[in-house]
Amino acid sequence: MDERVQKIYQRLQKREYRSLHNKELAELSEACKSTQDLALRSAKRLTELVQAERAILFPEDRIGMMRTVKNVPQLLCDKEKEKYHANHFVFDGAQVCNISSDYEGALREGFDGKRARIRAEMKKYSEGSTQYNQLKAMDLAVDAILLLAEKYRAEAERMGNTHLLEALSNVPAHSPRSYYEALVMMRLINFTLWLNGNKHNTLGRFDVYMYPYFQSDIARGTLTRADALALTQEFFIDLNFDADLYPGVQQGDNGQSLVLGGVDPDGCEVWNELSELCLDASLSLNLIDPKINIRVSGKTPYEVYYRGTLLTKQGLGFPQYSNDDVVIPALVDLGYELRDARNYVVAACWEFIIPGVAYDIPNVDALNYPQVVLDTLKDELLSCETFEALMRRVKAEIGKTCAELAGRTKNIFVEPSPFQSVIMTDCIAQAKDIAYGAKYNNYGFHGAGLSTAADSLAAVRKLVYDDGSVSAEQLLAALDADFKGYDDVRAKCLAAPKMGNNDDYVDGIAVELTDCFADSLSGLKNDRGGIFRAGTGSAMYYIWYSEHLGATPDGRHAGDPFSANYSPSLNVKFDGVLSVIHSFTKPHLGRVCNGGPLTLEFHDTLFRNDEGTRKVARLVQLFVENGGHQLQLNAINRDTLLDAQKHPEDHKNLIVRVWGWSGYFNELDLEYQNHIIKRLEFMS
Amino acid sequence: MNTGIVFSIEEFSVYDGPGIRTTVFLKGCPMRCNWCHNPEGLEARIQVVKSPNGCLHCGACEAVCEHKDGCIACGKCIAVCPRNLIRFSGTRYTVPELTERLLKNADYLRQAGGGVTFSGGECLMQADFLMEMAASLKGKVHIAIQTCGYAPTEKFLKVLSVVDYVMYDLKVMDRALAVRYTGCDNRLILENFQKLSESGVPFVVRVPLIPGVTDTVENLSEIAERVQQSAALGVELLPYNKMAGSKYALIGKAYDPLFDEKREPNIDTAIFCEKGIAVKVM
Repeated sequence: MDERVQKIYQRLQKREYRSLHNKELAELSEACKSTQDLALRSAKRLTELVQAERAILFPEDRIGMMRTVKNVPQLLCDKEKEKYHANHFVFDGAQVCNISSDYEGALREGFDGKRARIRAEMKKYSEGSTQYNQLKAMDLAVDAILLLAEKYRAEAERMGNTHLLEALSNVPAHSPRSYYEALVMMRLINFTLWLNGNKHNTLGRFDVYMYPYFQSDIARGTLTRADALALTQEFFIDLNFDADLYPGVQQGDNGQSLVLGGVDPDGCEVWNELSELCLDASLSLNLIDPKINIRVSGKTPYEVYYRGTLLTKQGLGFPQYSNDDVVIPALVDLGYELRDARNYVVAACWEFIIPGVAYDIPNVDALNYPQVVLDTLKDELLSCETFEALMRRVKAEIGKTCAELAGRTKNIFVEPSPFQSVIMTDCIAQAKDIAYGAKYNNYGFHGAGLSTAADSLAAVRKLVYDDGSVSAEQLLAALDADFKGYDDVRAKCLAAPKMGNNDDYVDGIAVELTDCFADSLSGLKNDRGGIFRAGTGSAMYYIWYSEHLGATPDGRHAGDPFSANYSPSLNVKFDGVLSVIHSFTKPHLGRVCNGGPLTLEFHDTLFRNDEGTRKVARLVQLFVENGGHQLQLNAINRDTLLDAQKHPEDHKNLIVRVWGWSGYFNELDLEYQNHIIKRLEFMS
Repeated sequence: MNTGIVFSIEEFSVYDGPGIRTTVFLKGCPMRCNWCHNPEGLEARIQVVKSPNGCLHCGACEAVCEHKDGCIACGKCIAVCPRNLIRFSGTRYTVPELTERLLKNADYLRQAGGGVTFSGGECLMQADFLMEMAASLKGKVHIAIQTCGYAPTEKFLKVLSVVDYVMYDLKVMDRALAVRYTGCDNRLILENFQKLSESGVPFVVRVPLIPGVTDTVENLSEIAERVQQSAALGVELLPYNKMAGSKYALIGKAYDPLFDEKREPNIDTAIFCEKGIAVKVM
């Protein structure tokens, strides 16, 4: 880090700047609140928020920018909210979130270009019509970002910050003339999205859409690699400044994912100098944002994995890897055009989405595998003569549950989001706010607790059907009693085969369950013309679902958590990571490709020299070569985490991976902290 | 057929030979190195071990014990511990059982240029089992051993004929100091080292760096000299593990280092580099 960037970094680390998040926008104006059309109201809210913002720059900033208004007032009054929520399906606060913008298009066109196109479209519709209002709202949203830029331009001028002054006299109105201007424009867009009330604002394929600007500067000789690195570092740091204001389940759950690598529309690898520069920038910073994701395939050179592993070694819980060889064909199978599939990114955590053209809701709900298993056991175990008969009942129940989950998604209400619409690919041309859908409108379900479910069924199969060592009645009674007084039964349950030991006896059950999940959703349509996708993620459901679930036949006590994402259960000692990878690449992952990584924890001593790091990199490559779809690895030291619980003051900047994002350990609720510590106990 | 006693199998071990490996820890060791960090591996027999952390001192284990004057590892106490703190250390495997366990991930081991490593304890303590294991694995996966070299030469040579790679410890070169710190005279070790060097089997030398014991200039220079005259591929230095004492309570013993364990070990690679020896710090 050079001296200038170092100053910005220190300012972030000290956290004192947070006192500058000091304005509360108590209420929107009457004019805004009384606007009937919600798209127009939303655009006016953004305008009022921008008006309330005070531009703050520090002498060392070349990009800078941070929020001063700390809240985004709600769009609907309570009465309206009640009405909409009563009559509609409402997801994640009814805000547009967790999608990926068409940054490439925004940078190429500039907001003046956007505005010209919006106004040309407006002429096609009569004033006051729905389309006209939606376009008008987008027009206002463009004004808002230009106003924000102007505030910063004026402040740059006042402070004599000539770099920023010059940049802001071009962007975001016009397309950037340099990599630096592109970064400034991206910062403004990111800032505006958050101010607009959007959540989980992903950064998409940064090394693809930024590359032309970077490459042309390098070719012209106007940018050195060192300058580019410093600017990229600054941009990355800036993404962290308002992290305490970003909404999420836990702090850090803000969705600022950034994707590197992958292929272009023709299928050619895109990994470039900017991809490497981004890894270097992230490596030097040790910050939770942006969360780095690398798209890899059988063709990816080992060196990319090695560079990625250097970042893993930092202990931030990223990069996360996704395998193009599995994901792209899977998306095509789900109905995405090949060209779009090749352009996939990850959403906030790990769900696969398409930038610009998709308003997929990949986390709309989650299947609770263990609940289905437990319910089926209670109702049917006594009447099933064979394990196969029981499995048929379980599958029928999965089918029923999926249909129910799908049914619940009908008639969704989403608040219009004109600014987000402006930076999607087709909203202007279609005069339609993104809230009403895009080219792709698919919904995805997570699949929480897969290993708990597979382990439970394996235990039933072994104890009740194969060995006859525990009767069905006894098992049900033990579960009802949460194993109290049934220590012997629980010991047998714990000793039954577990997913993660490369044992087909139980892994085969997981294959059947995941296939069944995919089959159950196949052919279902949502009411936006989209389909449903089955996944292997858990999001926070590994906590939410497990809290209320009784004891399970794998030996899990009532209320104990499931494993996060696509991982072995917490209550077993495993043979090791090679067996885990074998087990978890057996399911037909292309069929459950909504997203959701195998998560592996490594003790940080594994990385103590370069040889260890290189071998971890090779392991990641093995996972990909053997058909894994997605992987995240964490390098952690359990003792450090325990110490951090006792002495948080000594570990202010300790970062851990939670489920699909990384956060500061100290800022997590205790149950999330404990889960991370627990999952470390059983991994090598 | 021989059976073997294994006290741990570690998948994805990255510091026990080339590539990604599965390491098998065979129980029993003839040496008593003062810094041993794996005391579970010392005794050849299956033991009952008890983790003191979290013990409620409820007395349940003592109540069922019928062998207070000498544990026979009957395991009665294991079943009664309310916190599952007691377990067997050591599992008896037949050759087919262990072969199956090791080969279940052989595809990955091969893809990653790795294999199986037999370590310990001291793997040569179970030389007959080791020979049978090697025969059973031959041609299916790369086989390495990690050894202190303290074994009858005849047995050592037999094992050498069936393995692909050796990690050979040279610890203390001075004979008297060797006895003091490792419990063994080092002449046999040095003789076997010579045999290893002549065997044509690729090998590296491993040196634990114990503060004031093995990391002295004299000791390291002497090791370097031996290595230079041998066919060794290189030297791997293993700095003292400050957690070495952490597992002694498990076997009911106290850790009693005869050296200053707080002192940082002297990681002197120059002594080896000067002699043109490839050296790595692990």
